[in-house]
Amino acid sequence: MTIIQKGLERPPLAAVARLSLTCGRMLLEWGANARVVHEAISNIARGFGCDSAEAFCQHAAIIVMLRRGDEACTQMGKVGEHGVNLRRSQNLQETIYRVARGEVECEDAQREVDGVTRTTKAYPIWFVCLSTGLACSAFGQLLNSDGSAFLPTLVGAATGQWIRHLLFKRGTNLFLTTGTVSFVAASLAAIGGRFMGSSDLELAMVAAVLLLVPGIPVLNAQIDVIEGKPNLAAARALRITYVLLFMALGLAMAQSIFLKIPHP
Amino acid sequence: MTPLLVHVIHQAFFGGIAAAGFGVLFNSPPRMLWLCFGSGALALSVRTLCQDFDLSLPAASFIAALSLAIADRAWQRTQSPQGSVLAAVGCIAMVPGSLAAKAFMGLFTLVRVSPKNDIVPLFSTLQNLIVVTFTLVAIGIGLCIPTLVYPRSRDED
Repeated sequence: MTIIQKGLERPPLAAVARLSLTCGRMLLEWGANARVVHEAISNIARGFGCDSAEAFCQHAAIIVMLRRGDEACTQMGKVGEHGVNLRRSQNLQETIYRVARGEVECEDAQREVDGVTRTTKAYPIWFVCLSTGLACSAFGQLLNSDGSAFLPTLVGAATGQWIRHLLFKRGTNLFLTTGTVSFVAASLAAIGGRFMGSSDLELAMVAAVLLLVPGIPVLNAQIDVIEGKPNLAAARALRITYVLLFMALGLAMAQSIFLKIPHP
Repeated sequence: MTPLLVHVIHQAFFGGIAAAGFGVLFNSPPRMLWLCFGSGALALSVRTLCQDFDLSLPAASFIAALSLAIADRAWQRTQSPQGSVLAAVGCIAMVPGSLAAKAFMGLFTLVRVSPKNDIVPLFSTLQNLIVVTFTLVAIGIGLCIPTLVYPRSRDED
C-alpha cells in the first residue's frame, strides 16, 4: 500500500499511541480477534510514519508500543466487556484505513474514533428482540422441533433478549445475566409450548436459550489460538465455559420445574 | 423432489434465518443481512450434504466452514477493505449450542448419579463434550485456513 501524506504534519508519538490504543480497545470490545486488532494498530502506526508497532492484547487490557526514529512510546489501557457490534467495527475500520492512506490528521481521527459509538446507527430494540427470537426458533427447527414449538420459542427467546438488554444497560454481572435470561427464556418457552400442545418441550426450552451461546467469542478464541495468541484465547475460553455453565444452570432449573409438571 | 433435497432446503432456509437473526443481534449493516442469510444457508447446506455422506458432525462442520471461508476470502478481493465478517456470521448457525447445553446439563446429572449406575450418563456427557469440542475446533480451523494459506496483502488495503 502506498502511503500518501497529503502535507500532514507528523503528530506527537503519544497522540498516535493514544489513537492506536483507543482503536484496539474498541475493536476488542466489539468482537474483533487479535489479528484484526494488530492489523489496525499497524495501519495507524504506518499512516503516521512509525517504524514499528507492537500490540499485546489481553482480555481486560491492551498494550501498544510504537517506535519512530529515536522516539519510543508505550501505553496501556483497560478493555471493557467484550461484545459484538459489526457496524461500529466497520465504521471504526473505515477511519483506520483513511488514517493508513494519510488522509486524516491524528487529532481529527481521534475525534472521529471517539464519536463512533454515538454516530453509529443501531436497530430498534424491538426489532433486535424479534430477530433473536426468530433465530432461536429457526435453531429449534434445525433441531427437528415440532411446528407448535416455533411461537413459544420465539416469545421466550425474544423476552430473554429484552431482559438481557435491560440488565446489560444496568451493568449487571455477565454471568448473573446469563443465568437469569436462560431461566426466563426456557420457562416462557415451556409454558407457551404446554399451552400450544407441543410434544417437544425440552427441545423448545433448549432452543430458546441458544441466544446466549457466545458464538463469535468461540470462533475468536479458535482463531486466536491458531494464530499464536494463546493468552487471549485461554481467557476467552474460560469466560465462554462460565457463560455456558450459567446458561445450562438456568436451563436446568427451568427444566426441573416445568418438565416435572404432568400434562393435563 | 427427493427427500434429501427437501431436507437440504429445510436446513438451508432455517440456517439462513438463524444467521440473519444473529446478524441483526450483532448489528450488521442492513444491506449485509441478505448476505448473512446466504452464508448461513450455504453453511447448513454443505454440512447437511456432508452428513448425508455419513461424515461425522465435526468433519461435516469443518468442510462447511472451509467452504464458507474460501467463498468469503474470494469475496474480500472484490469489496471494500474492511474485511468480511460473513464467514463468522454464517458459521454461527453451525455452533453446536444445543449439544453444549446438553453436555453441561449432563455434568449436573453426574452430580446426582450413584457410582453403580453412572456409566450411561457419564458416557453420553463425555461424548457430547468431545463432539462439541471437536466441532468447535473444526469450525475454527476451517475458518482460519484460507487466511493462513492466502493472507491479505497490503495491496488489498
